[in-house]
Amino acid sequence: MSGLKIEQIHKKFGTTHVLKGIDIEIEQGDFLILVGPSGCGKSTLLHMIAGLESVTSGTISIGDRDVTHLSPKDRDIAMVFQSYALYPNMTVRENISFGLSIRKVPQQEQQKTVQRVAEMLQIEPLLERKPAQLSGGQRQRVAMGRALAREPSIFLFDEPLSNLDAKLRVEMRTEIKELHHRLGTTMVYVTHDQIEAMTLGERIAIMKDGIIQQFGSPREIYDNPVNQFVAGFIGSPSMNFIPCSVISMDNGHGVEMENEAAKFVLPLGRSEPALESRVGKTVLLGIRPEKITHHRASDVGSAGIHQASCRVEIVEPTGPDTLVFVKLNGVSTVCRVDPDQAKKVGENIDLMFDMNRAVFFEAEKGTRIC
Amino acid sequence: MSTQKSQRQWGDYLQAALPKIVVAPTFITTLIFIYGFILWNAWLSFTKSRLLPKYDWAGLIQYERLFANERWWVAAQNLLIFGSLFIGICLLIGILLAILLDQRIRAEGALRTIYLYPMALSFIVTGTAWKWILNPGLGLERLMHEWGFEQFTFNWLVDSEMAIYTVVIAGVWQSSGFVMALFLAGLRGIDDSIIKAAQVDGAGLPRIYRSIIIPSLRPVFFSAIIILSHIAIKSFDLVMALTGGGPGYATDLPATFMYSFAFTRGQLGMGAASAMMMLGAVAAIVVPYLYSELRSTRRG
Amino acid sequence: MVNQGQSSIFSRLAVYGALSLAALYFLTPLFVMLLTSLKTLEDIRSGSLVSWPEEITFEAWQMAWTSACIGVDCGGLKGYFWNSISMVVPAVVISTMIGAINGYVLTQWRFRGSDVFFALLLIGCFIPFQVVLLPMARTLGFLGLAGSIPGLILVHTVYGLAFTTLFFRNFYIAVPDELVKAARIDGAGFFTIFWRILLPISGPIIVVSVIWQFTQIWNDFLFGVVYSAGDKQPITVALNNLVNTSTGIKRYNVDMAAAIIAALPTLFVYFVAGKYFVRGLTAGSVKG
Repeated sequence: MSGLKIEQIHKKFGTTHVLKGIDIEIEQGDFLILVGPSGCGKSTLLHMIAGLESVTSGTISIGDRDVTHLSPKDRDIAMVFQSYALYPNMTVRENISFGLSIRKVPQQEQQKTVQRVAEMLQIEPLLERKPAQLSGGQRQRVAMGRALAREPSIFLFDEPLSNLDAKLRVEMRTEIKELHHRLGTTMVYVTHDQIEAMTLGERIAIMKDGIIQQFGSPREIYDNPVNQFVAGFIGSPSMNFIPCSVISMDNGHGVEMENEAAKFVLPLGRSEPALESRVGKTVLLGIRPEKITHHRASDVGSAGIHQASCRVEIVEPTGPDTLVFVKLNGVSTVCRVDPDQAKKVGENIDLMFDMNRAVFFEAEKGTRIC
Repeated sequence: MSTQKSQRQWGDYLQAALPKIVVAPTFITTLIFIYGFILWNAWLSFTKSRLLPKYDWAGLIQYERLFANERWWVAAQNLLIFGSLFIGICLLIGILLAILLDQRIRAEGALRTIYLYPMALSFIVTGTAWKWILNPGLGLERLMHEWGFEQFTFNWLVDSEMAIYTVVIAGVWQSSGFVMALFLAGLRGIDDSIIKAAQVDGAGLPRIYRSIIIPSLRPVFFSAIIILSHIAIKSFDLVMALTGGGPGYATDLPATFMYSFAFTRGQLGMGAASAMMMLGAVAAIVVPYLYSELRSTRRG
Repeated sequence: MVNQGQSSIFSRLAVYGALSLAALYFLTPLFVMLLTSLKTLEDIRSGSLVSWPEEITFEAWQMAWTSACIGVDCGGLKGYFWNSISMVVPAVVISTMIGAINGYVLTQWRFRGSDVFFALLLIGCFIPFQVVLLPMARTLGFLGLAGSIPGLILVHTVYGLAFTTLFFRNFYIAVPDELVKAARIDGAGFFTIFWRILLPISGPIIVVSVIWQFTQIWNDFLFGVVYSAGDKQPITVALNNLVNTSTGIKRYNVDMAAAIIAALPTLFVYFVAGKYFVRGLTAGSVKG
């Protein structure tokens, strides 16, 4: 059964075209992430799913039911907001049961639900408090509780963790994931944080300028980005984009590199049909930082792996890895190396380039070549 | 099923229309009682209405009569004198008190309450009080005589040259505390770190006020001047209670002029014309202000 | 607030001296009024503004309340005081209620044209009322409300709406949209959200609006003097008539007692809830 189906959704505010034909379909029980930079239309889309924003054209169905023109209360949804939006004059208990009392659920049943939700989220001691007496993390839990009380057919989350500090954010992320496993309800989650998107999502829709750039699983998106925007948006530190010219070699294609006047060639170790027509032209090489590492003896000679010596410009230790910045074809390039193997600024370091996962984009448009 | 659905849609339409239905009465009242009435009054000012309203077009005749009326020019001149002195002195006292109160004063709350309480009074009460204090025989003059200043005379209230200044005295007493409150709020809104930076740069207190704090209060000056001039143009009660417009019509202001011509002397048309002049004066001050306000909120 | 590192005792004294002088300036008129109201007429004639009464008497107060002549009627201020009350209370309640719901719509349920509506209303705060006096007089006549207290209630309600709406609009604009959105998802409708979510947090602004409207309407003289007559006049008009009656001997002590009586309700409100009073005064003028 379909969990959520969005077909050809457009949204215009006056003359500005915010959403330009969105199509998404997920199964019941899926966890969908809408991610993108601010202004990409992801929150507008979520609010349209909730019925808080009208639809200019297109249809939205929740669980095979067309809800495009229904008001929020008739859509069988629950939502957690960025600011939590707890009713300040009500206690936690009243906040959680408000939706039930509006729907005229019997008192006794309301109290049972509150109890169940409070146990699930471990907020029983807070039930008689007012939101102003709660910490940020506690408010977040109550907001979740309010959504859980209703047992809707779909949960909507609007950047629910962005007001928490870093540590709490990671904890809550795990809890939301657990909750999803436990309830098995469809969830739609909006965030601008690509790490949150990668860790939580089963299906990720990356949006920009009112268009879905790519829709797929976290792995697909990470390994196989459809364009330079997606490649750069997902992953931290971001993928390196190095302009370089393509050459033809004996065993396939390669690209020319230059560091401190020293020129070298990175062979792909394979032949890419799409690159054939671009021999002698400039393309963008996309290579993730973890694919440029320190010298590893075991990898020497493997297919697609090539070693080169480069001058270190900047060193940034992060703990588990050290990020080393070198200049390739005039572009600052990040490499992820073992802290013990890092060199000092100004010294040369032997780097190993793993070209097996390298991708190529058009130099100007940023569209994927291969 | 389908009737149920159409019922639900009906409910949705009603919900969607409710906000408009709810503000409609206010909207209609505003249109009629403000804009409609302004037009109505404008129309009256273009007729020959005297004791009873007439609605035959008579052109600018009332305005011609108004501008030929010496009493109107006295009122206009009085407004100029009263307005400029009232605004100027209120600003001066208001800023001074605000700056003094901003020096970590122990009894600040109590002092603020004292400075501002006249604003809670009716202008009629203020006028009554000052009328007694400035009473030529028994008031201030008598007090000064008792204190040994035998030559002291103070009869502004009955001196047609000076009477308008008594209105200024009472007006300032009532409104300067309010200006103080505006400026104090402005002072408290200034970012502390700017002042600290200036102190680190070696600026002394007077210098900090002159070159940093007071210039940054420009928006407050702006609002204060707008509000005070608005009060000045509308001033009616104070004059009525303090001097009744007298001696003669020496302290008439446009507001009292309008009242006496429209309601006691049976000159509806001229009263309407003078009201239009007042509206024009307020518009000349307020429209640019509202325009800049709305523009800045839209930007922000 | 500026921290003066090396402020001398002398400059501190100067500051306190200036502030005390100002306090004296603001307090003296009230003090003189009170003193005068407690004196006998002979005492007033023989003493000065600030001389202590020979004997303290409440005669003037009693006279002002029950038997002073206002026009031809010699019943004191009593009746007019109640006129003012019966005019102020409904006008304040109605204009505050309508202002609250207007503010709710203008912030949480904006529609095409709602900003224009607000701008039109806002201008209503600024017009000199002289420009509506004549048409309003005719309209009250049509409605059969001329010279009556219901007529005054109507006038004060209509011209107070701009302010009350402004108060509530500026208050509700700080309420996050998400609160209302959450309530809509919870199934609450237009009135439920207003009643159960917004009104319970509106305490402070209701107080501001009520105090503002109360002082404005109680202290009004213009509408009172134009639209009321005879024994239906509000207290400000009665006070002015009492003080400016030229017949008979001038009883300054009665005038002062009457003035204080007219000022008492608003002074009381000011001293009890001054904070909210100041907020009302500055609400329309200082942004934020």
